[in-house]
Amino acid sequence: MTLDAIQDKLRARERLSFDDGLALFRHPDVVAVGQLANEARERMHGDRTYFNRNMRIEVTNVCVASCLFCSFAKLEEDAPGAHTMRLEEAWRELEVRMDDPPAEIHIVNGLHPGLPFSYYEELLAGFKRIKPDIHMKCFTAVEIHFFATHYGMTYGKVLERLRRAGLDSLPGGGAEIFHPEVRTRIAHDKATADEYLEVHRVAHAMGMRTNSTMLYGHIETFEHRVDHLMRLRGLQDETGGMQAFIPLAFHPDGNGMKNLPAPTAVDALRTVAVSRLLLDNVPHVKAYWVSMTPEVAQIALRFGADDLDGTIVHETIYRAAGSRSPSGLTVDHLVRLIQEAGRTPIERDTFYNVIREYPRAALPEGAVKVRDRKASKHLEVLS
Amino acid sequence: MTARRRDDRLRVAAVSYLNARPLYEGLDREPASRRICLDCASPSEVARGVAEDEVDVALMPVAAAASLGELRMVRGCAVGARGAVRSVMIVGERPIDSLDELAVDLSSRTSIVLARLVLRARSGGREPRLFGSTPLEGIASVAGGRGALIIGDPALEIEGRFAHCLDLGLAWLELTGLPFVFAAWCGRDGALTVEDERLLQNARVEGLERRDAIANAHAARTGLPAESLRSYLRDAVRYDLGDEERRGLQRFYDDSASAGLLPRADVRFFDDRPAKVVQGASLDSLLARASAGERLNAAEGERLVAEASLFDLGLAADAVRRRKHPHDVVTYIVDRNVNYTNVCTTSCRFCAFYRPLGHPEAWVLSREQLAQKLGEVVDAGGVQILLQGGLHPELRIEWYEDLFRWIKHEFRLGLHALSPEEILHIGRLEGLGVRAVLERLHAAGLDSVPGGGAEILVDRVRRKIAKAKCTSDEWLGVMRVAHHMGLRSSATMMYGTVDTPRDRIGHIMKIRDLQDETRGFTAFFCWDFQHERGTRIEPGDGGTVLYLRQQAVARILLDNVDHVGASWVTQGPEVGQVALRFGADDFGSVMFEENVVSSAGTTFCMNAEAMERRIRAAGFKAARRNVRYDWLTPPA
Repeated sequence: MTLDAIQDKLRARERLSFDDGLALFRHPDVVAVGQLANEARERMHGDRTYFNRNMRIEVTNVCVASCLFCSFAKLEEDAPGAHTMRLEEAWRELEVRMDDPPAEIHIVNGLHPGLPFSYYEELLAGFKRIKPDIHMKCFTAVEIHFFATHYGMTYGKVLERLRRAGLDSLPGGGAEIFHPEVRTRIAHDKATADEYLEVHRVAHAMGMRTNSTMLYGHIETFEHRVDHLMRLRGLQDETGGMQAFIPLAFHPDGNGMKNLPAPTAVDALRTVAVSRLLLDNVPHVKAYWVSMTPEVAQIALRFGADDLDGTIVHETIYRAAGSRSPSGLTVDHLVRLIQEAGRTPIERDTFYNVIREYPRAALPEGAVKVRDRKASKHLEVLS
Repeated sequence: MTARRRDDRLRVAAVSYLNARPLYEGLDREPASRRICLDCASPSEVARGVAEDEVDVALMPVAAAASLGELRMVRGCAVGARGAVRSVMIVGERPIDSLDELAVDLSSRTSIVLARLVLRARSGGREPRLFGSTPLEGIASVAGGRGALIIGDPALEIEGRFAHCLDLGLAWLELTGLPFVFAAWCGRDGALTVEDERLLQNARVEGLERRDAIANAHAARTGLPAESLRSYLRDAVRYDLGDEERRGLQRFYDDSASAGLLPRADVRFFDDRPAKVVQGASLDSLLARASAGERLNAAEGERLVAEASLFDLGLAADAVRRRKHPHDVVTYIVDRNVNYTNVCTTSCRFCAFYRPLGHPEAWVLSREQLAQKLGEVVDAGGVQILLQGGLHPELRIEWYEDLFRWIKHEFRLGLHALSPEEILHIGRLEGLGVRAVLERLHAAGLDSVPGGGAEILVDRVRRKIAKAKCTSDEWLGVMRVAHHMGLRSSATMMYGTVDTPRDRIGHIMKIRDLQDETRGFTAFFCWDFQHERGTRIEPGDGGTVLYLRQQAVARILLDNVDHVGASWVTQGPEVGQVALRFGADDFGSVMFEENVVSSAGTTFCMNAEAMERRIRAAGFKAARRNVRYDWLTPPA
């Protein structure tokens, strides 16, 4: 399948096949692939590029699963570096930021075997008490599956109770690579692909929105990546409940695959681009700057991505795996990254409602000044 | 160029040659001087003034106008000839068409291009080898198969002295049946009002009447025979720019573009009505021409920057890269950036590295410290060091000579050392010229000159960010001398301070122009200003996307520079890798250490294995290289 044939399909709004996806991953010219993805992105969103004010919190890194790619989890409560926040500790993260509060709290944890289910319910309820309109995007499908088996409930029951306590939507983590050839080797003791997808299906049926992810760049092949994306596309055809897809680059420091090199920036851009092209039914593709570095994420805004995620504030999972990215970015920084890419920055809420639209940089991406830097004036003052 | 808009007067610049004087005679006197601020300078300086927006209109050579592109000309005024011009001659002891070598005065590109077109046409594409020289050297060197292209007063002086001579004005007429135009009033679209144009046209009428007086004055100054000069201005030089001259000039532009000697250009007058103006090329055709390896002018470069998408630029730059390096190999070098001192007297606003002499944090590396660093380079399979410092006010040339000899003797490493600024600094300290400094350092072991300190080769920008540093001309002058000595160098650009998109294109064009002359630049690298505590400049245009665009545009415009390198040290290994798909064919250097950028807060490290992995992951084969870009390992 040549790129021209794929381009013809895209322009005719035809759906791409498994083989098309494979051809896109294998095509030698990542710029040409990016251009196709950019067309698709601009058809869907024009220049609009989203971000939000969010805050990551990981309340516990104690985890019964032993995923090869993970540098974050500690197996036992008393293992060195193991930490579980007291509820007050977790809430305090929000309390101290109430003069400039985030709009969304994004909680992802280890699978802790020793906490009561009420811990999670109280956790959610506590945040809502502090800020009733805060959006709680918490617990991956893997955690929901763990709660269901560990506490003896159906997915529906778990989600219902958490929703009553304050849960608003599910993040996309835990998808890793669905294909069993990979999943059994890197994540053998947590939710399977079908279980992950089923949790999302149930959530969607309840009217909840979710995101989805793919952890790429370790032992998987391009076939596995395409397979992964096709499974997500299938679920989305069924439910339409996925808001965004986030490709996550594997980082090797301090985990069970530390001898593998990390995927390079060219791979990151290509994965964003192919994801955009294959997932024709998922509205948003994120350039998650924590995973890609802010610099490469900026380029990705021209390779198919329309969302930079958010301010994050303090990310710990990628940092544990050796990421160079800062643990948080300011709103100004996010706006500048987007403007320099020649896009229109849009601060959004979790459901992609517009909170504030910022001015777009004038023609074309980054070619012209995006800030009124008053260079000459400023220098006169200096000299 | 000193002309500056201090008032509302039109800023006018003109070449200070005798034959141009009738066109601007009187403009510097009342009443014209009330409306006009006139400045006379060399052709390159006049062209620079227009390029950098320091003047509104300039009487400039037509080749320079083509390089800039998109300029308008004042109808009716030009320096040209229809037939013999007498002041642009090829002379030799043998028939001109059989010469093997030709000494040329490099200051006149229009005449050189004309000479090459004429010689190629007369001898079926065969052309003598050109080499640059001063007019006097050129005349003196004429013998056997070696001739000289002589321009201006020297040409008038040697009339009849050589057995064979070819008047290029006459040769052009014979070749095309058309007049030739050497220079015309040029400016950007909209720079002149109708009244401004009339002012220039009236000046011409008055000047033509005063031709005898101008000739007599010049004769008195130079000792040339007055009668000969009078007839030169009256009969040889023509001052018209009408439809026929326009055809002649357009023919010159077309032939030069076809021969690859100048960017494509169209002759346009200020008063051309829109209907008559040739429509600007579409962006697609511009990109297609760039991809096909055609030379673009500065205005076309600006257009790409302003209008082309990241992908347009990336794909075109990649096409240019592939044409130059069809084997899909990306090179890198194992070397080490060693800063021998952080003492510097220039205090550039963008630099967080330097310390003044006597500062508690000031240092000069000892031989022991150097030995350890260089030993590590040798152990790592390194082939050279990049040795740069600040401008230390107390290190004498002997210190450098001893150091170079010691490095060569003890470590046998290549010495890519001392940027132009340092060469100039040593020259000032020693009271030596650039050539003398370079010759001594070369004798002591200097192999090549790094292209650092170029920043933006536009003096308005340099004055703001690096007041104490050399001018653009000085920087280029050091490189010119180094290249003529056979030393190779790199070229760099640091943008993102107070520079505009036009400044950046102007910078690239200056490098391209010098490269046309010397062919001494091996590679071009660019990066944006790394803003951090310790620097005193607000960042200007920045961002990764701009970096990729900037590098791509440089790859497209620098058709005569072999290599473009990705600056991963400033952009990070991730973006550096992506840049390989935006026109770069080199990944720079393995990083042991680098002090200047890292003191501004940017620190990355990468070993050879990681570099090769990234090169391969971008779809290329990797090969180690030396400073001349020879492969030291088979691409793999």
